[in-house]
Amino acid sequence: MEFPLLRTASSITLAATAAAPSSRLATWAFSSSCFSHPSNSSLFSKTQNLLFSTPSRTTRHFHPFMGSTSRHPAALHMEAPTSQQNDGVLPELLTEFMVDMKCEGCANAVKNKLQTVNGVTNIEVDLKNQVVRILGTSSVKVLTESLEQTGQKARLIGQGVPEDFLISAAVAEFKGPEIFGVVRFAQVSMELARIEANFSGLSAGKHAWSINEFGDLTRGAASTGNLFNPKIEGIVNTPLGDLGTLEADEKKEAIFTGVKQNLRVADLIGRSVVLYQTEDTSEAGIEAAVIARSAGVGENYKKLCTCDGTIIWESTSNDFVTAKF
Amino acid sequence: MQASSVSTHALLCPSLAYTHRNLQSSAFHGVSFRPAFRSFSHSSGGDRRRSLTVLAAAKKAVAVLKGNSNVEGVVTLTQEEGGPTTVNVRITGLTPGLHGFHLHEYGDTTNGCISTGPHFNPNNLTHGAPEDEIRHAGDLGNIIANADGVAEATIVDNQIPLSGPNSVVGRALVVHELEDDLGKGGHELSLSTGNAGGRLACGVVGLTPV
Repeated sequence: MEFPLLRTASSITLAATAAAPSSRLATWAFSSSCFSHPSNSSLFSKTQNLLFSTPSRTTRHFHPFMGSTSRHPAALHMEAPTSQQNDGVLPELLTEFMVDMKCEGCANAVKNKLQTVNGVTNIEVDLKNQVVRILGTSSVKVLTESLEQTGQKARLIGQGVPEDFLISAAVAEFKGPEIFGVVRFAQVSMELARIEANFSGLSAGKHAWSINEFGDLTRGAASTGNLFNPKIEGIVNTPLGDLGTLEADEKKEAIFTGVKQNLRVADLIGRSVVLYQTEDTSEAGIEAAVIARSAGVGENYKKLCTCDGTIIWESTSNDFVTAKF
Repeated sequence: MQASSVSTHALLCPSLAYTHRNLQSSAFHGVSFRPAFRSFSHSSGGDRRRSLTVLAAAKKAVAVLKGNSNVEGVVTLTQEEGGPTTVNVRITGLTPGLHGFHLHEYGDTTNGCISTGPHFNPNNLTHGAPEDEIRHAGDLGNIIANADGVAEATIVDNQIPLSGPNSVVGRALVVHELEDDLGKGGHELSLSTGNAGGRLACGVVGLTPV
């Protein structure tokens, strides 16, 4: 307990892909005591417990928000059809998963698998705490699928960047009954946010989607107000909240990975993501979800729901108990 | 802002401000130096941990609660300038009786109760009743469903502002299966969750026009 940093440093395995520039290697240190007291997770699960020694970056490439249909390079091997992908490389981001690894072999399998994934710069596997941190440009979907291919359960628990500016992550979840989907926002720099979305139950064809100013779902999408349109210098015509168009395939699925300039995740909290029937955002949307706060890296190591004893591997977005009425 | 009134150390490594165990551990001081160093060149970013502030002047918010069962409801939150927040609750489909009603740190329900994090607890206290001094900010006590399974309540609370660093916007409101024992049940979960059982329904607090 006295020297958590020293103690855990030795239990952490660092792995870097061959292509990883050494400057991207981050030294990780955090208190292992986070994990032994799930109910106290908020005590220790602060970002500040992570120590980054990543040298500051000199250049950063910004990509305009694009609605093109070409594929992300990392997604080329994916079996699932991707109806919409950004063709630019996503900005680098740290994504933290809890993976149900039980032995050194499992941890190695996870590491080896991730090393083959395009866009992964750095992998850190912490077997003791069952946490895997991945630095890279790969999409959450690709990472999740890769982890699941190792036969182990994986749950995304946090996203962030190893930099010192505003760190924030947000998520909007569409819970049906017809349209299901998750939209994740992660701040990459002060001027850029990464957006990843997947939807199912969306009728085949093109659908506009947007960020609207309110997260009021009392009348569904109809009570979410107008497109989020803060005053930003240099942007006149298109509201910031205009996310362009999604294209759902014949399986009624749509995927998006991309970035958006000038988007500050902190400004989106409590607003909503809205889906439309057509490419026209002037009609009321068909479905909406509130943009919620979600954990950054190192902020939520909760493994156990102490309310009902559900552990992370059993847990899904649908783990409600049924009312006995 | 609150950040300007706390010490430099707390500003740069805010968890130190309220985590005694961290303070006692010398290792953590070492950790805090590095972020401290870089923060000087990014002062506009402000407090790292508390930077997720809702910048819009949110003084009214609403959450639509849904679950897998027939439990559903609408919770509206209003706050006058600098005053307490008034929470109007109407939830239907409940079993008659008491149900724990909490605000969790995150509004992320993609992994159920786990991704919502613990009860919203910026001051790192143990679970309690809304009127207790020692409580989570997110401890809103119990709501009571009548014989028709409808719970209507008005809660006035000082710890759940609609703006600022501890804004509740974007977090999740959860109604539970069982009664919250308000930290006094003697159960091992009493001081963390109030032993209120599983979630019946939840909803993210969203902005709404005043």
